[in-house]
Amino acid sequence: MLAEDKLKILLNLISNSSNEELAWMNGYLNGIVSTHGPYDIKPMLKTGVNKITIAYGTETGNSKKLATEFAAKAKKQGIHAKVQSLDQYRLTDLQKEEYFLAVISTHGDGEPPAAARKFYDHVHQNGFKLDKLKYSVLALGDTSYPLFCKAGEDVDEQLTKLGGNRIVPLQKCDLDFDSEADAWFNHVFHALSESTAVNVDTTQSVTPKKGPGKKTYSGRLLAHLNLNDRGSKKETFHIEIDATGVSYKPGDSIGIIPENKVSLVQHILAIAGVNGATNIDYKDELISVHDLLQKKLNVIQLPERVVKKYASVIQQEIPGTKIDLADLLRIYPVKDEREFTDVLKILEATTPRLYSIASSPEAHPDEIHITVARNFFTVHDELKYGLASDFLSHFDENNELKFYVHPNNQFRLPEEDKNIIMIGPGTGIAPFRSFIADRDATGATGKNWLFFGDQHFTTDFLYQTEIQNWFETGSLTKVNLAFSRDQPEKKYVQHKMLQHGAELFEWLQAGSYIYVCGTKDPMSIDVEKTLLQVIEEFGERSKEEAVQYLDDLKEEGRYVTDVY
Amino acid sequence: MSENLSSNERIKTESDGLRGTIIESLQDEVTGAIREDDQALLKFHGMYQQDDRDRRDERAEKKLERLYSFMIRLRLPGGFLTSEQWIAAHNIAGENTTGVIKITTRQTIQLHGIFKSKIKPTIKEFNKVHLDSIATCGDINRNVLCSAHPKQSPIHEEIFSYADTISKMLMPKTRAYYEIWLDEEKILDKKDEEDPLYQDRYMPRKFKIAIAIPPNNDVDVFGNDIGLIAIVENNVLQGFNIAIGGGLSTTHGNPETYARLGTVIGFVKGGEKTLKAIYEILTVQRDNGNRIDRKVARLKYTVDRMGVDNFKKEVEKRTGFKFENEKPYIFSQRTDYYGWYQNEIGKWYYTVFVENGRVLDDEQVALKSALLEVAKSGKVNFRFTTNQNVIISDVDAKDKQEVEDILRKFKIIEHTEGASVIRKNSIACVALPTCPLALAEAQRYMPSLLTKIESLLTKYDLSNEEIIIRMTGCPNGCARSYIAEIGFVGTSPGRYNMHLGGDHEGYRLNSIYKESLDEEAILNELDVIFGDFKNERTNDESFGDYSYRRCIKAAAIERVTA
Repeated sequence: MLAEDKLKILLNLISNSSNEELAWMNGYLNGIVSTHGPYDIKPMLKTGVNKITIAYGTETGNSKKLATEFAAKAKKQGIHAKVQSLDQYRLTDLQKEEYFLAVISTHGDGEPPAAARKFYDHVHQNGFKLDKLKYSVLALGDTSYPLFCKAGEDVDEQLTKLGGNRIVPLQKCDLDFDSEADAWFNHVFHALSESTAVNVDTTQSVTPKKGPGKKTYSGRLLAHLNLNDRGSKKETFHIEIDATGVSYKPGDSIGIIPENKVSLVQHILAIAGVNGATNIDYKDELISVHDLLQKKLNVIQLPERVVKKYASVIQQEIPGTKIDLADLLRIYPVKDEREFTDVLKILEATTPRLYSIASSPEAHPDEIHITVARNFFTVHDELKYGLASDFLSHFDENNELKFYVHPNNQFRLPEEDKNIIMIGPGTGIAPFRSFIADRDATGATGKNWLFFGDQHFTTDFLYQTEIQNWFETGSLTKVNLAFSRDQPEKKYVQHKMLQHGAELFEWLQAGSYIYVCGTKDPMSIDVEKTLLQVIEEFGERSKEEAVQYLDDLKEEGRYVTDVY
Repeated sequence: MSENLSSNERIKTESDGLRGTIIESLQDEVTGAIREDDQALLKFHGMYQQDDRDRRDERAEKKLERLYSFMIRLRLPGGFLTSEQWIAAHNIAGENTTGVIKITTRQTIQLHGIFKSKIKPTIKEFNKVHLDSIATCGDINRNVLCSAHPKQSPIHEEIFSYADTISKMLMPKTRAYYEIWLDEEKILDKKDEEDPLYQDRYMPRKFKIAIAIPPNNDVDVFGNDIGLIAIVENNVLQGFNIAIGGGLSTTHGNPETYARLGTVIGFVKGGEKTLKAIYEILTVQRDNGNRIDRKVARLKYTVDRMGVDNFKKEVEKRTGFKFENEKPYIFSQRTDYYGWYQNEIGKWYYTVFVENGRVLDDEQVALKSALLEVAKSGKVNFRFTTNQNVIISDVDAKDKQEVEDILRKFKIIEHTEGASVIRKNSIACVALPTCPLALAEAQRYMPSLLTKIESLLTKYDLSNEEIIIRMTGCPNGCARSYIAEIGFVGTSPGRYNMHLGGDHEGYRLNSIYKESLDEEAILNELDVIFGDFKNERTNDESFGDYSYRRCIKAAAIERVTA
């Protein structure tokens, strides 16, 4: 953006300035920019820029959707925009790029989407320079997570380190990204046009304004039951929530912030020797210490970065490792109530857990259903339960549950006459219950094929009677099941896919959409391998051709996954 | 006419030799059940579809279908297994079923709780030891009974062999069983399957045959469609008296249905003619039985509708010979010979008391382990009685001590000797939770009721009185409660009709004494009757005869005179 000589001056200035000076300059420049009024888009034919690349890294399809929209807008302005998924992007092309826009989301604890992993790792390497590169990053994320938009931040930072020139500051967006994403793109247009001044502080990333934002709802629990029969090793809860007035689509998820157990909170308060009833000011809200610990803060398996902060609060050396707050307090006690209050401030908010919605607005109006497996694992021979699933397992009917809708634009039913193949073992069944119920309620004419699996037929066939009804009435065309532990050798959905490989390939050839939901590893990996095998074997294709076939399906949006 | 036939008739004739769509049913992945029409056909292969009725509501709430499973009943003419076969049954039961081996009132064993996916493996395992379940249920000749204990006659072996001969003669000709369950190649030439006896319609209803060797009527010979009473003179089998039209099942509230004891229609000399007569009795029933209303389809209704004489004449016409006059015989008991007994040629037999025929290890006795160890000695055979007990059989004198040691080690002798007389004379059917017909509990409830009845008997010093007491959870009569001295027939949960007045030997049906009693009422009634019996019985009068005189006849006279 800045001509090289100008940039040199700026960088020189920056490197010779104290933090205070930089802050002042920042404010000063902001003031100047804001008095120039909002950017508006003018015809920009004179830009000289006629080619840009818009690359996206998506998990749920939002980045892709935005990238495609931007490309369309760019075209209207006479700019040719090449849209590419980051997993398809040839990494060596990056050095040749001139104008490069990245739309990238963040998942879990600051992770990039799987499709952007290679690109992400690539830009974290040294040994090459991106001198020609003029870029900007749009980061999608969820403010409920401590490492909000981390992947976008990292990419933005790395591109600069590699010598790239930021043309518009990094824009971070929450789940309601539409207006901010639009504004960012307008900035980008503006920057591409020669007519506008370039004195914009591109290092200052833009975080979303507090707006109406992502809407949090509160719904009464209507039903709560364990779908597994007696004798099962599993506990899978079907939970129905009153969701009057909440709009969502099949394929969406809801986010739920789990609460900590009261017994644990009391334990923590006891160790710290603190009165839970004391009210403190937390993020502009007056809340009791007890409620803060129960409802807002993560106290389990604190990440290293939080442990570090804890160490600096109590001014002791603590080895960097994941640890529960209760253990920290026990081993490295706080001095007094004030110090404990400081600790509260460095704790991170409990992150929401996402659950695929198992209901359909058409079939279950004013309700949202989810399917929650209670996770348990052993740590040092002690049986422990996953926080969220345990919280939901114990949630009683008639209690209010807070949640928000997390849209998943990638995981959508196709047109009503298209055929779909659904592969969803275990709780992976959830979105497919939504899909089938929706198609059943709307009378969609496409054929529907379900693959489901779990441990035992008699105890673990989730939603069995519903699936039977859909099968009998024809809403499900085919159902194939794999119960892994009903015979000496383990059998999974992929075995059933292979067994019906010929027909599966016929369905693919006829334009069917394939959906996979459930655990990422190993299920979705094995399923993908099997799909390739089916294409190879029954489509009589070489290995490479099979990979290409599947890539094409992905590209057409006919092979999508929602895995975790 | 044909459109009035019961739906079972259509299922049979359209079944392509009892095949139906069983193979497809087995492949239906979404359900543990098989298709409705196939359920009727599956019975001919020796299985019933059942479900755990205790679990229906809970599973429905969990969006799970009923907990379907299958019961398989073996074809064991005369109730005989080798050690090797018992060991196989033991292992199969452990692998694929509830684990309980149930000895039935039809002298065979059945296993419960087999999931659909395990049926084929189960049948294949049985086949390895030459056991099958062909025709042990369904509208066809069922397992053939024979008086169980070899000590009953020096020629027990000869008479017993008739059970097998009759069973084989009356097997269906279709190869469906072998094709479906044992993966036998499908035969293309259907001529090999032509079945002159069953044709494509089979019998109108189930058909039961029993052979009794007087003086013990352990098989309840008169409760069968055909009862054969062996006539032996000077240790030579002369032939059989033949009784027809016995049958115990009724339907609550349907006055057209009734229990009936077989009518002896004469004597047939020699084996060949006996087999011929049996065969033609089946063909007459096949051609004349009611195929419209299954409730009145059994032979007993056909015999009564046609008249005994007409029926007999029709059989004679078909056999080409006449029945001779019946030969004299006497039955004096129906109880099993518990404990050790020796037969004519010196082999030893130990009859083990098995409450309700359920072989399992429970907190009282490790019967299943004991029988396995006995079987592993390889020195015994197993015979089942129609009172649901097992006789450890054919033990050489030199091996007797070894067998006895095992039985002592597992406290089986203690268990058998320790059981009360009334308990050893009791039978209960399976009923809840698996039997789809059950209206009330039977084998799960009978033991505790017996404990209370034992106290009453002790109270009147009647503990050594041999009283035959039986309970069924519905009016179908599997446990032969209609020919007991005290019979309980379930009417609704916790309630039973109380029947009294059957004789001790099985010549006379009992009658309803009181309807729909709960436990308290049952015990109150018995308390009074036992007291009166103690005081009012004539010399040697059995409880059955006393209660007939005192309760049934008296009530009938009251009704007439009122």
